[in-house]
Amino acid sequence: MPITQDLSILSLIAEASLLVKLVMALLAGLSFMSWYWIFRKWFSIGSARRKSMDFERSFWSGGDLNALYQSAGNDRHNTGPMERIFESGYREFSKLHAKKADHATVVDGARRAMRATYQREVDELEAHLAFLASVGSVSPYVGLFGTVWGIMNAFRGLSNVTSATLAHVAPGIAEALVATAIGLFAAIPAVVAYNRFAHDIDRLSIRLESFMEEFSNILQRQLR
Amino acid sequence: MNPLQDRPEPGKRISFVLAALVHLALAAFLFLGVRWQSEPPAAVQVALVAAPPAPVRVAPPSPKPEPVPEPKPEPKPEPKPEPKPEPKPEPKPEPKPEPQPKPPEIKIPEKKPEPKKPEPKKPEPKPEPKKPEPKKPEPKPEPKKPEPKKPEPKPEPKPAPKPEPKVDRSKQIEDNRMQELLAMDAQRARESELLKQEMQSAARAGALDAYQNAIRQRVRQNIVLPPGVSGNPEATFIVDQLPDGTVMELRLKKSTGSTALDEAIERAIRKSSPLPLPTDKALFARTLELKFRPLE
Repeated sequence: MPITQDLSILSLIAEASLLVKLVMALLAGLSFMSWYWIFRKWFSIGSARRKSMDFERSFWSGGDLNALYQSAGNDRHNTGPMERIFESGYREFSKLHAKKADHATVVDGARRAMRATYQREVDELEAHLAFLASVGSVSPYVGLFGTVWGIMNAFRGLSNVTSATLAHVAPGIAEALVATAIGLFAAIPAVVAYNRFAHDIDRLSIRLESFMEEFSNILQRQLR
Repeated sequence: MNPLQDRPEPGKRISFVLAALVHLALAAFLFLGVRWQSEPPAAVQVALVAAPPAPVRVAPPSPKPEPVPEPKPEPKPEPKPEPKPEPKPEPKPEPKPEPQPKPPEIKIPEKKPEPKKPEPKKPEPKPEPKKPEPKKPEPKPEPKKPEPKKPEPKPEPKPAPKPEPKVDRSKQIEDNRMQELLAMDAQRARESELLKQEMQSAARAGALDAYQNAIRQRVRQNIVLPPGVSGNPEATFIVDQLPDGTVMELRLKKSTGSTALDEAIERAIRKSSPLPLPTDKALFARTLELKFRPLE
């Protein structure tokens, strides 16, 4: 095994064994994907929360329900989850109301429609969070696997040398440890982001649920 | 009719770009910022020149150890003798020279009779003795020896805030005794303080010795003696150090007589950097004066 004094990152990666290189490439890909999803989830959850807040403000400012329904239906590309829940509930309510159904049926139908939309919205928000969670939990192990493999190679090389010194193993161990470093670099942001997003989605879904309850009360009042 | 299908996915491209940016930044940091031993320490170019004569580099005599012990013993002995002898000798010597120049008594006959003769007249003398006080204490003590009564009028004008000088006699005697007692007490207090400080400075000197010995021990381990040195030469170096003991500047104060040996000691001191630190931080000094006897 050649003894190298040059321990820059580039040479460490270049001189690693094939399997360790594969592990590093896998981890780099995972890290890239997890960062991609971190940013995408960040933007989508942020915009969902912002739009829901905007809609809640205009809803409780006492506007006409019909006008709100019209604006929600016209600008469908730019609505938040709360507005879509309102739209589906109000659509179902007006349909059933036009059919002269009895009050309990009307409110139940509207509530079911809202519940369905709510579940779709939350599922959409939670999509790909599981990917972040598994990157966070698995990539340290993958990196550790690469490290163990690299250290095994380093010690096997040592067995051929008559006078063994630390200088014979040190470069191999350093190469191997790079794999763990990359694994940790992929895992830490993924775990942090997963916890953060899960918390945000929890809070948002609680808001959506309470809005659904309040809106069903308003619909029930309108029937009398 | 799925409302999700026609919804635009927010931020696909920008997320991709941002993720790429994060990784590029990390890679740049790793490649540029972290270089483990990738460069061997650069060679230092040294010009070899004949060493200047050692005694030329005479350091300014500003060693800390000297000023520290000096100020403590000096100021204390001084104040002690001063306050005590001063008050006592002053009144005593005064009467002695005065008997000789008795003629001055004649000059101030008016004021002497005043304290002696009438008690009611005392309100008058009060303003008078106060003004001339500095000069007149001399004439007053004169009569003391011939007349036993007069020692008292002399002290009277000095503490003189009281209108009745005769009643004050016993008080003044008491006062004098009290003052003597107080002076004794003060002297004892000073002595005990001095003792304490001597003990402290002794302990300090011991710790300082230990500190300097630790430095000497360290330097001795690093010294490479030049050949052909004999006897027991001693060199004195002045060392400027940082608070962590790193040697900043070295000056030769007293040479061993052998330039090669001086330089060997100097190299050894530099090699010993950082120097050991004292256990008592108060003993640390930025400038140290160290004596070395490498052949000891």
